[in-house]
Amino acid sequence: MNPLGSTRLADTANGAWHVTFTHTLHAEWTKLRTAGDTGRLLLLTITLTVAVGCGTAKAVKCPDTGCGQDPVKLALTGITVGQAVIAVLAVLAISNEYGTGMIRTTLTAVPNRLTVLAAKATVLTTVVLASGTAAVLASLLAGRCVLPGNGFTAAHGYAPLTLADGPTLRAAAGSVLYLALIALLALGTATAVRDAASAIATVLGLLYLFPILTQVVNNPHWQHRLQQISPMTAGLAVQATVHLRERPIGPWAGLGVLATWAATALMTGSLLLHARDT
Amino acid sequence: MSHESTKATIEVIGLRKRFGPQPALDGMTFTVRPGRVTGFVGPNGAGKSTTMRVILGLDTAEEGKALVGGVPYRTLRRPLRHLGALLDASALQPSRTARHHLLWLAHSQGLPARRVDEVIEQAGLGTAARRRAGGFSLGMRQRLGIAAALLGDPPVVMLDEPFNGLDPDGIVWMRGLLAELARQGRAVLVSSHLMSELEDTADHLVVIGHGRVIADTSVSQLLAEASGGRVTLRTSAPARAAQVLHGAGAITVATGPDTLTITGLPDAETVALLARNGVPFSQVSTHRATLEEAYLELTRDTVQYRGIPAPEATR
Repeated sequence: MNPLGSTRLADTANGAWHVTFTHTLHAEWTKLRTAGDTGRLLLLTITLTVAVGCGTAKAVKCPDTGCGQDPVKLALTGITVGQAVIAVLAVLAISNEYGTGMIRTTLTAVPNRLTVLAAKATVLTTVVLASGTAAVLASLLAGRCVLPGNGFTAAHGYAPLTLADGPTLRAAAGSVLYLALIALLALGTATAVRDAASAIATVLGLLYLFPILTQVVNNPHWQHRLQQISPMTAGLAVQATVHLRERPIGPWAGLGVLATWAATALMTGSLLLHARDT
Repeated sequence: MSHESTKATIEVIGLRKRFGPQPALDGMTFTVRPGRVTGFVGPNGAGKSTTMRVILGLDTAEEGKALVGGVPYRTLRRPLRHLGALLDASALQPSRTARHHLLWLAHSQGLPARRVDEVIEQAGLGTAARRRAGGFSLGMRQRLGIAAALLGDPPVVMLDEPFNGLDPDGIVWMRGLLAELARQGRAVLVSSHLMSELEDTADHLVVIGHGRVIADTSVSQLLAEASGGRVTLRTSAPARAAQVLHGAGAITVATGPDTLTITGLPDAETVALLARNGVPFSQVSTHRATLEEAYLELTRDTVQYRGIPAPEATR
């Protein structure tokens, strides 16, 4: 620790950037930890994800061989709901600061704005990866218990869900990454638009309106195109374990589409944050 | 504690900035020196907060520069160890406790948690530190803001309207604290739109209006200038007194049924003249301007939002 007084006046611009980044990370972690609603939102994410996955697994039956269902995707259906809570959490991580004016204190403590955003993104990604892993594992476990009772049995061509199966492992890891990318998309959007309500509306609109739009469009060519660029539809392609060839986009390519959305949002947010008066 | 003098300064040099067509800063230039409290005064909208935001690198100026200890704020590695600022005491996330608010700030500067407890004590927050800041009164928030400003033990302290929302006890405490910080050799800049708040606090004044400095002077000099050598006379024969005084070349203004304000004749000569002519009088005193009067005089032409002027009363 730096003793106060002796070295204080001499430390102008002579520390390495990584020292600043470490301090900023520590500060952002403390902020997120003490924000009051972080723990609750993460718990809500896990609960909703597992509950919806469990409910879907219970509702879908596989009466015969070749019923065409994707048990892994069914068990992980909850991600489509859990992502909304993650988006809210990520938006609040920065919009709360704009709403209260605390952003000025933050940027006074750490004048390099990109350092602040990078630290926020890192801390957020970490907690989302952790809670996302818990949500995905619990969902798969629930699916493994529920699905055989609905006809997803070896007799109908379905082995019990297990991470030892390559595609299942990919779907599980991909779903966790999907949630992290949703968090980054929301963080970038919120940094750009600042206001919490507008940011949440923008992100949820982007996620849920695309699939609705796809239903409305009659032209099969455009329908296909929309599915390929929709952040949610393309991103969740990573959960598919059957009929991969019939999907509009491959699993990793789909996640790449979502990553592009997230990168674009973060880039826009960074540029505006860097250039704007606060 | 003493502070190396070049580090304990704020230099504002020729700042210009527009918000739309209206110039917010119009060549703002002044220096805040160590070891004294500099009052930063001006009507609402004069550019006090904008200047402070530019100093902190939150806003950019179109022209000019602001230096803290000789360098731009944004180049400082651990800026809170160089400058402690309180801009808006209400800029807090309400769900976080006061202690946790200070803790993340400390972490951002690589400061130990021990330092947080020290400034909590110094700001008189005590047991409230573990309560949610959302429930704090404005006075408590000001104290929390002061604690945050002092966290890095900085040689420069800059406070925007720190007296807002303080109760009388708090005002006394704040005055003592500002004097103590200056005595320790720090440069202290305190803004206010009320000159009276700074009357017993500031050593030096930077008075601004319309985005530029209109006076940069010591408090005693400003008072001397504003008093302007006026003498107040209380007499039962004002008409006769005026006649005698006019004969000696003085200018008099009746400021009440039995009072005259005299300019152009010192108090001793006034007494001698009246006594020689047998004019009765009960009191002769040198008019002493308050800082408020001096300030109103200076900013008369720069107040942006003025009510209907009250009729000219006493002078």
